[in-house]
Amino acid sequence: MASSNMKDIKRRIKSVESTKQITKAMELVASSKLRKAKEKADNAKPFFNTLYDTMCEIVKEDATFNSIYTRKRKNNVTLLVVVAGDRGLAGGFNANVLKLAQSRYDELSQNSEVVILPIGRKAVEYFEKRNFKIMTRYENISESISIYGAMSIADKIIDVYNKDKIDRVELFYTDCISPLVQEEKHIPIIPLDIEVDRSNVSLTNYEPSPEAVFDSLIPRYIAGVLFGAIVDSFAAEQAARRTAMENATDNANEMISNLSLVYNRARQAAITQEITEIVSGANAQE
Amino acid sequence: MKSFKLKIITPEKVFFDDETEQIIVRTTEGDIGILAGHENYVADLPAGPFRVKINGNYKIAAISGGAIKVSKDAVTILAMAAEWSEDIDSEWAKRSHEDAIKRINESKSDYEHRRAELKLKRALNRIKISSMK
Repeated sequence: MASSNMKDIKRRIKSVESTKQITKAMELVASSKLRKAKEKADNAKPFFNTLYDTMCEIVKEDATFNSIYTRKRKNNVTLLVVVAGDRGLAGGFNANVLKLAQSRYDELSQNSEVVILPIGRKAVEYFEKRNFKIMTRYENISESISIYGAMSIADKIIDVYNKDKIDRVELFYTDCISPLVQEEKHIPIIPLDIEVDRSNVSLTNYEPSPEAVFDSLIPRYIAGVLFGAIVDSFAAEQAARRTAMENATDNANEMISNLSLVYNRARQAAITQEITEIVSGANAQE
Repeated sequence: MKSFKLKIITPEKVFFDDETEQIIVRTTEGDIGILAGHENYVADLPAGPFRVKINGNYKIAAISGGAIKVSKDAVTILAMAAEWSEDIDSEWAKRSHEDAIKRINESKSDYEHRRAELKLKRALNRIKISSMK
């Protein structure tokens, strides 16, 4: 009886140990991917900040400025771009951003149409299962996304926007504030909301025209926003996974130490019992 | 010659950040040369060549689309990609050229066609510039 119990415990310790090895490995992989993604996101920042500043200046200098990307339209169809991960096992990472998108969907779908553009397998699965209207789906692109990849998504969105099939574009993603803090974000992309203070205007010569420059910057700007959101989400996913796996490893350690204690007690009890049996056997012979 | 600050930024990195005497860049409206003290100026850049004069010598780079912004104290070029002519992998550019032609022939929609065309322009630009040393 006691020995079979001990065997069971031994088996459980082994199984927990192998799980621990997996979670530990996942933790290490996630932290190295997190570092790389963080770097990629940081390198892209100067480019898009300058781009945004230039666009702001155009709007600022031209009081009569008007572009189809800043004009508000009647909200008939809204496109929600939702960025989630390709894999699970990352704590609440996927669930949190999907929940935020879902609540916005519920709000909008009461009196207008909503189309979804999911990025990441978890987002695609979520919206497909619920039979939402999907424009295009993107899976397994987050890790190796290049600026051209983001550009192609941006072009697609702009193409549909220019054909008047959508009137608003909003983006949902997870911002990786620090390796320990991630926050779900919801930002409107089109129409662009640029607020400027027109007090300090310097005159600039635009070629061919302010509008033409602005309109050609727009796809790059949107690509930049998407690129940033995808890379940031990927970093956040890795950070969330690292934390989740760190906790899992800690839990495994705790389980192993509890089980070892139980195992040692059982072993001790078995030995004690054996001694008692021998002693009582010897006593009976006397 | 009076020099000015030039910064070329791509999404991947800051490609160039130094003093220079003159730059010649191709905008959608034609080539334009910029010296120190140029008026404020912003223009759209297609895929094209870019020359920068440092210590009297010109260096050539390929720019894959972007914008140029000249302000009082500095010139900033925002480029989707930038490479010096000697760093261009011409084999890769040729492959991308063939791929672009293939895509143009196979394109089913306006959107695909437009993208393939841009890809072709970038590849041609790289091939041309890699031969100008």
